[in-house]
Amino acid sequence: MDVIDVIVKIITWPPLWQLVVLGLVAPLGVVVGILWFERKTAARVQRRFGPLHVSPRIGGAIQLIADLMRYAFQEIIIPKTVDKGVFLIAPLTALVLSIVPVVAVPFTSVSHYWPIPMEYSVLISLALSTISAIFIVLAGWASNNKFSIIGGMREAYMITAYELMIILAILSVSAMTTSYNFVDVVLAQTGGKWFIILNPLAFLAAFISVLMATSGFPFEIPESENEVVAGPFTEYSGLLYGVNMGAAYIKRFVYSIFITLAFLGGWLPYGPGDGFISGYLIPSLVIIVKATILMAVFSFLRAVYGRYRLDQALDFAWKLLFPLALMGFGLGLLEAYIGLIG
Amino acid sequence: MVPPKPVPKTKPRRGIFHAFKGNLEALMIGVKYFIDPKRFTLIYPKEYNKLREGYRGFIVLIKQKCINCASCARICPAAAMKMIRIPEVDEKTGKQKVKNWPVIDYRRCIFCGYCVDVCPTEALYHVPYHDVVYQNMAEMYLDLESFQKPPEYKAAEEGIPVRYIVDEERGLVKVPYKEGEK
Repeated sequence: MDVIDVIVKIITWPPLWQLVVLGLVAPLGVVVGILWFERKTAARVQRRFGPLHVSPRIGGAIQLIADLMRYAFQEIIIPKTVDKGVFLIAPLTALVLSIVPVVAVPFTSVSHYWPIPMEYSVLISLALSTISAIFIVLAGWASNNKFSIIGGMREAYMITAYELMIILAILSVSAMTTSYNFVDVVLAQTGGKWFIILNPLAFLAAFISVLMATSGFPFEIPESENEVVAGPFTEYSGLLYGVNMGAAYIKRFVYSIFITLAFLGGWLPYGPGDGFISGYLIPSLVIIVKATILMAVFSFLRAVYGRYRLDQALDFAWKLLFPLALMGFGLGLLEAYIGLIG
Repeated sequence: MVPPKPVPKTKPRRGIFHAFKGNLEALMIGVKYFIDPKRFTLIYPKEYNKLREGYRGFIVLIKQKCINCASCARICPAAAMKMIRIPEVDEKTGKQKVKNWPVIDYRRCIFCGYCVDVCPTEALYHVPYHDVVYQNMAEMYLDLESFQKPPEYKAAEEGIPVRYIVDEERGLVKVPYKEGEK
């Protein structure tokens, strides 16, 4: 066997492909574009230009590369007062744990290319996605700084606001298809019956709670710049801060993949065929493109909204979002009962 | 005549549907501006704002018109205009004598333009720009020679001139400056 064949075989081994390529490389590539888009969109709506001077001809598109390089070469300062072990471990663990749910998600209907058996993939991926938030609280606690601790506590409060709603909203597709398998969920949406059309309430609940989970703009409470400096990440500098931010965006990307699979039809309208390219590469590309569009919508909201207070966000979550998620669940059950979903 | 009845203030409407409508309206405004951004940022070193005539910018002295009356120094509210004594030879009689001349201290000047207004012989005038750079604070206290020539306007050498006009639909709009426009 040739060396290149071996390398290709290793890279395209489903668990590695899904963790490293789809979980780490693709989100980072997407994030660089999305951050640029976010800044340019906010600038457009607010009648400014946004990043421009680094490369005026392409609209400052390589500004983010410059920022990335700045983070990469900055000195990592570890203050004396922090709990050193936890301080270092927390962001790295959060990064890894925010990637891990990708491995429990099918990117194709061909069972040969699943990293793990997919019978309970909805439950497993949702359960895995909820772990990483605790490490943000931990990072805030280990920093031993008043802003960090306030930010970490805010994050802890927000977990109580979004966690149940996100699970309830995405599980409503399981109620519709009577299956915990993401593949069944996607295949039930063939023929244009995407669940965003059949169950818009659950989609809205999932969208808003993902916005809360990833501190998207109306709910950018734990890291609000003008109240607590950078929230739990105040004491971090250089590459560690970059890892923190990367973890937040990867988390948003992973949740976008969930919503894509649950409500936006996954790899449909493309039908996976045989072989690596037709059966794995193109379906995962379709999913990534859909998730990227969803992330662009998330970042567009930055331009429009201000910020809720913590109590307002909790109020909103339990008084409006929770009933909305329940209604979505009920609507899903009703549609399954009257046989709307084939 | 009966005074008009006081109209009770309407309470702000609350409710889920009202909030939903408000959110939707805000998003629509965002989309509207995203499609058609009405931006007016001045990209400064490449563009500069060509200000209109009568703008109270930096002040220049015409020494030939000056009658050494010191009105400008007296009226200056920030005490930026000062009279300095310069000895010189009178041309007619050939005698040594000392004259007072105005100089300006831009560390203090507030660009109110009172000195220009009060000058009885119009020996002072404004230049229509204010973006002038000095290397240090001492340079900002001009002497009589440098007060007589307009300060260097670097932005005009490198950038293109633009103007801001108020449009009824679009608000503040940046338009390129046409030559000869006042």
